[in-house]
Amino acid sequence: MKQHPLCTDCEREVDVNSLPIPAGLKREWSAVETRRQFLGRSGKVLGWAALASLFGETALRGRAVGADVKSPVSSPGRNNLGLPHFAPKAKRAIYLFMSGGPPQIDLLDYKPNLASQYDKDIPDSVRGNQQLTGMTSGQSRFPIAPSHWGFKQYGQTGTWVSDLLPYTAKMVDDLTIVKSTNTDAINHEPAIMFINTGNMNPGKPCLGSWLAYGLGSMNDNLPTFVVLQTKTNPKENNQPVSSRLWSSGFLSSEYAGVGLRSGGDPVLYLADPDGIDREVRRKMLDAVEEINRQTQADVGDPETNARIAQYEMAFRMQASVPELTDLSKEPQSTWDLYGPDAKQAGTFAYNCLLARRMAERGVRFTQIYKRGWDVHGDVVGVLPTLCAETDRASYALVTDLKRRGLLDDTLVVWAGEFGRTVYSQGGLSKENYGRDHHPRCFTTWMVGGGVRPGLTYGETDDYSYNVVKDPVHVRNFNATILACLGIDHNRLTYDYQGLDQRLTGPQPATVIQGLLA
Amino acid sequence: MIAAERAAGAARTLTKRSAWAWVVTASAALSALPFLFRLDGRSHGDWLQFLGRFHPTLLHLPIGLIVLVPVLEVAGAKRAALREAADFVLRAALVLALPTFALGYMLAYGAGDAGATVTRHMWGAVVLCIGLMLCIVVRPAWAAREQAFVYPAMLGATLLALLWTGHHGGSITHGSGYLTQYAPRPLRMLIPGAAAEDVGGNSFYALHIHPALDAKCASCHGSGSAKAGLRLDTYDDVMKGGKDGPVVVAGKPEASMLLARVTLAPGDPHFMPAEGRTPLTSDEVAWIRAWIRAGASATATSVPGVKIARDEVEPPPQPVGDYSALVPEIEQMQHGLGAKLVPVSAKASDGLILRTVDKSSSFGDADLASFKKFAPYIVEAELGRTAVTDASFDTLKTFTHLRALHLEGTAVTGSGLGKLSSLTQLRYINLSGTKVTAQSVEALKKMTQLRHVYLFNTAAEGEGTTARSTP
Repeated sequence: MKQHPLCTDCEREVDVNSLPIPAGLKREWSAVETRRQFLGRSGKVLGWAALASLFGETALRGRAVGADVKSPVSSPGRNNLGLPHFAPKAKRAIYLFMSGGPPQIDLLDYKPNLASQYDKDIPDSVRGNQQLTGMTSGQSRFPIAPSHWGFKQYGQTGTWVSDLLPYTAKMVDDLTIVKSTNTDAINHEPAIMFINTGNMNPGKPCLGSWLAYGLGSMNDNLPTFVVLQTKTNPKENNQPVSSRLWSSGFLSSEYAGVGLRSGGDPVLYLADPDGIDREVRRKMLDAVEEINRQTQADVGDPETNARIAQYEMAFRMQASVPELTDLSKEPQSTWDLYGPDAKQAGTFAYNCLLARRMAERGVRFTQIYKRGWDVHGDVVGVLPTLCAETDRASYALVTDLKRRGLLDDTLVVWAGEFGRTVYSQGGLSKENYGRDHHPRCFTTWMVGGGVRPGLTYGETDDYSYNVVKDPVHVRNFNATILACLGIDHNRLTYDYQGLDQRLTGPQPATVIQGLLA
Repeated sequence: MIAAERAAGAARTLTKRSAWAWVVTASAALSALPFLFRLDGRSHGDWLQFLGRFHPTLLHLPIGLIVLVPVLEVAGAKRAALREAADFVLRAALVLALPTFALGYMLAYGAGDAGATVTRHMWGAVVLCIGLMLCIVVRPAWAAREQAFVYPAMLGATLLALLWTGHHGGSITHGSGYLTQYAPRPLRMLIPGAAAEDVGGNSFYALHIHPALDAKCASCHGSGSAKAGLRLDTYDDVMKGGKDGPVVVAGKPEASMLLARVTLAPGDPHFMPAEGRTPLTSDEVAWIRAWIRAGASATATSVPGVKIARDEVEPPPQPVGDYSALVPEIEQMQHGLGAKLVPVSAKASDGLILRTVDKSSSFGDADLASFKKFAPYIVEAELGRTAVTDASFDTLKTFTHLRALHLEGTAVTGSGLGKLSSLTQLRYINLSGTKVTAQSVEALKKMTQLRHVYLFNTAAEGEGTTARSTP
């Protein structure tokens, strides 16, 4: 008598074989059911084994109550994988994600020859067979729009930087600028998924989740992987950004990014309500955990373990997050460096400051999203705002990390999902222009642990349209980031759907040695 | 009948006696060979080398036969025919082992191989041949059940000699670390000398010349095999040169054979590294040239004309010893204190990081002192914002492999910082936000090993040491 393992109605046990259904269906049912039972059973065994290892300490020693409670589930992503594969240069990373696709031609990819080609059509030979977006494919002309802003050389390296980035210009000797980054996708959703997860379709773990899974946590009181969203500026063209980008995909949801809110309480409902003290909260959590453990024992879903771990993390974050976001003890030098924006929660500058504070407190990976770079039109109107919001804060973060001795083992990455076209989208005038999406080349930079300072890597053609030297595909870009953190991208894998999944996908990827220190 | 038996017995004794005579003579001849033709590191004649190079081809044949013998002997307990075959195989093994030995000797003598591993391999082969002969001689008595133990013991000893000889032969071909390089940690613990030799210091030689020679040359010119009597794995040996004289003439790169041989056209028969091994890079050649021109010093830290970017000057970290036996204690320690010892990477010799972030406010000098036991394995101490004080320097000075020390945001005043000067590996120290003063950080200036000093937010901040660059 076979019964579905999850069926709780014990009084009316349904025997599929006695039902008036085709014999083929019955056969299929019995096959499926056997597999379910097997999976259910093995899940339970695995679940208990996992629980035993997670609870080993508590089971023996009981649990203390108090702010510094140390529960063993408290080691989210406890690292049993034997990583890093080799001694890492960077222990942690901060990723400044410029969502929307910053226009490389107006920022760091200086093309002096374009000025003379104002309003001329980009040669077909340059454009080749590049697919266009629906926004410009109907255009009859592709007139070249030189950058509205001047460029100057900075630093010992003599790197050309746009006048829009006066602060970034001050640190070019520390940066590793990659002008030849390129991607496969031309629209936001696939491109942003691709650079974050190595796949254009949702469902794969993102870089931060791979790091959390592979390297584990450095501290018990804050998440391993934190995502900070910057408050949107309604003047800008903001593309949607949501938790699919920091999803752990098929990895346990323990490894998903924890988003801190950009306004109000950084984490909702983190403060205990009136009348509930730490002890009551602890008791409640213990009771909930007991129930979860029973569920885990009955069903064997590893996500239950993730849930237990997350409750515990939330409990500890009740103490650690207020401390993290309390900026009252920051010295004046901090405000001098980051500027007045940093005092306002939710700004990019504030998030950069939080990222530095999290780096000090052992957060492995912080990703800050700044939306609004999707400048299809009114580049001249919007780009200065975008740069003002991000330029000084990025510089402040790097400088702050550097003077505090954190940059030696922190990798900072600045990137968007793609670049923008040299030709104008919509009308081109001396005063204004627009730029469409461009996947063939875009400019990114990295700085800190593992990468070579003062380097500009890769070259684009005269139109910043094609890469002519040292291309860095997004896959290789991600492989290189992993290498800085001591990970061989080919060996950080997870068996799922019959494939040893990895961040760089099934196609071969290489670490760009030229970028490494 | 009885007379016939006696006659047969006498005949056996006679053949036995003559066989022993043969064994003794042959053994003496084999053992004398190395003294007649000394392996002195000089090469002798192309013919010898030509023939000698068949040694690697031939040698696997006798090995296979020798290994087959015990198999046949054991299987022979069930099928007598196999035991009869064993005698033949044993003799065949000897017949093949002798020419193999001869070819091997020609190879070493002809090519001018010398060195501890070659010598061991050669003597191993002598013992192996003698062992085989003795096996042949004592076997009949065992087969006739007159003697139960001598032959099995002899055969066992021969197999051990085979193992030893084969291992050293492999080491000559593949380099001494070939077998142990990827051995699991517990295994490697059992092998003496499996850890790499370390050349410490900040000198140009230690940072650039030694690593290049070690990686590209030392497999033939090293402790295992010293072709042409030349070893390039230590400074003294480099300067001593080989059988053909010195290879480095200080100040005269054009007169230095070391440089000449690596700068020949790659097709040249004298080009080094020989036989398709990885050649030196152009950078490495340039460093060697500049280093010789500057006087080939063991201690000079810079060489005129060579500017190497700051990061490349970072010497490779000194590997830490094996701490696997301490792992249970390390885990216990973590449970008790809440501070963790985390491996830097999957490679145990990269050492451990002392991580206190979860306990920082309560982690004090006494807690730090309790990690003394693991001192030589800790390469990084993350003590930022802990309760440690200047008293911690007494513990920290025992952390002999310490490369990075985080003391930011602690109450240290810097008095006693000088105690850390014995930490030759220390590259990074972070004293940001501490109570150090311009006077108390004076001690840091004498610590030339330091590369990164951070004094942000301290009274000593203006000292200009926030990121010291190398000389």
